Amino acid sequence: MDKTKIRTLQDLVRESASEFGDRIFLREKNGKEISEKSFRNLYDDSCRLAGYITSKYNGVIHTAVIGGSSYAWIVSYFGTVCGGNGCVPLDAQLPCSDICELLNRADVSIFMYDKKYESMIDEIRKKCPEVKEFISFDKDLPQILSENSPAELPSVSPDALASISYTSGTTGKSKGVMLLNRNLIDNAMCQDNESTSDDVVLSILPIHHIYCFTCDILCSLRYGNQLCINDSMLRIAQNLKLFQPTIIMIVPMIAETIYRQIKTISEANPEIPKSDIAKKIFGERLTTIYSGGAYLRPELQKAYHEMGYQMGQGYGMTECSPRITTADRFDKDCAGDVGIIVNGCQVKIEDGEIMVKSPSVMAGYYKDEVETAKTLTPDGWLRTGDLGYIDGKKLFITGRKKNLIILSNGENVSPEEIENKFAGTDFISELLVYSEDGMITAEIFPNPDYCKDMTDEEIDKLFKDKVLEINKTLTSAKTIHRMRIRDKEFEKTTSKKIIRRQSEHGRIVK
Amino acid sequence: MFEKLKELIVNYVDVNPEDITLESRFIDDLGFNSYDFMSLLGDLETELDVTVEESDVVNLHTVGEAIEYLEKLKG
Repeated sequence: MDKTKIRTLQDLVRESASEFGDRIFLREKNGKEISEKSFRNLYDDSCRLAGYITSKYNGVIHTAVIGGSSYAWIVSYFGTVCGGNGCVPLDAQLPCSDICELLNRADVSIFMYDKKYESMIDEIRKKCPEVKEFISFDKDLPQILSENSPAELPSVSPDALASISYTSGTTGKSKGVMLLNRNLIDNAMCQDNESTSDDVVLSILPIHHIYCFTCDILCSLRYGNQLCINDSMLRIAQNLKLFQPTIIMIVPMIAETIYRQIKTISEANPEIPKSDIAKKIFGERLTTIYSGGAYLRPELQKAYHEMGYQMGQGYGMTECSPRITTADRFDKDCAGDVGIIVNGCQVKIEDGEIMVKSPSVMAGYYKDEVETAKTLTPDGWLRTGDLGYIDGKKLFITGRKKNLIILSNGENVSPEEIENKFAGTDFISELLVYSEDGMITAEIFPNPDYCKDMTDEEIDKLFKDKVLEINKTLTSAKTIHRMRIRDKEFEKTTSKKIIRRQSEHGRIVK
Repeated sequence: MFEKLKELIVNYVDVNPEDITLESRFIDDLGFNSYDFMSLLGDLETELDVTVEESDVVNLHTVGEAIEYLEKLKG
């Protein structure tokens, strides 16, 4: 695809239809059947919906879209942005009260939804008077598409708003990240030769999430990949077998769990090579695994390379559309980096914090000048809030700035740096490092399966030995002085991240 | 249903079937992580020919709760 022709999302959909035409763009389950849509179908349907919206509304409007990954979701998004309007992709897990709040905050006029949200419509009508129209994926959208011919699209500026993506917000109110057409296009186009039109991508991550949206959806349009939809997190194993992808993007927990399964089968059947066991799980065709969303330990990355997969991790954030680095999937060194900095992106370190300047960086937070000014410097640098360093073209992350432990001697300690040293420890299910009474404390929730036949004393000893081993690798200021063990999981956010300020703590190990 | 569930649970975690009770909690007692647990429910969908809603999964903590939920789906 000629990159110079692509400046907006409308350009991307149009050029993908022109280059890949009737080839299959998307496959998804429809009851027991699999339905297929071509690149041409997506362009035509986006033109139909864009024409419908333009004919009914004056000026630029905002739509919101909610539901699991589906063709209807994708058409709703592109039907919005191809007409020069802005779309708010909502988290499908949100309760109705949060959905209403975001619809009002984002000035949404049209709510497009999967039938699962039908029961919320009455409440949304009451609480969100500015939402003028409700378009369901199963009834209204097919009707609109059948009653409207593909319209001629208006000219859209690369500076036009495309998405307002709300951050999940582990602390305080979520923020509406404004991404312009040119931001998303820059991010989808910044690298080359990442895949080919022979590749099949199984889209597993939630579609409202920018990592999935840019890397699965936009990159599939760019490279002509066939995009297969994983219809539920319950069915990843079945869908890997059904669709036989060549590329998947996952989070480390999935990589970790599948590797554990492979290891267990291999221990029981040492004569079967791990690579053969992996093929039974991932399918015969898988070549590439990308990981993101959290830190992937290098040992695991190496283990996947040894089974014959290309694997790497990238780093990014919604505010950067999202890629700041991209996985170096051929790098077998696995030095613990989070990938190589993408083309066109400048990265510098200021007081330990990673700062980014690139055409992918957001225009700001929607109607929130205070937070925008805190995050974007006047000369256009984005403060990531992450701590790290650069080595050559590789980026390394050491922790979150807001989580820094500042010791009485003034030294700063990143809890994540210590936590990562425990990664892959069999007897630990969850871990948190924090400062308590001026001491660095490590608290664990032991793995109930691993520790089921052990006494408290035995678990204490395992933990103490592990801490001793890790303390040897830390400078004296960073060593762990207190250990706690809890009998309940840590409290977590809705996105399953451990909350750093816990209301209860476990017992102290003597 | 209980026996079927026990058969599937031991494919995911290293636990004796006789140690699994209706009160056993999937994550805190049996050592499941959320991906394992989702996959187990995916297997049960196939076995029982039912459709489990992802949004219902957060309410299923114990083996007994899962059985009650699945029996309702079966009708």
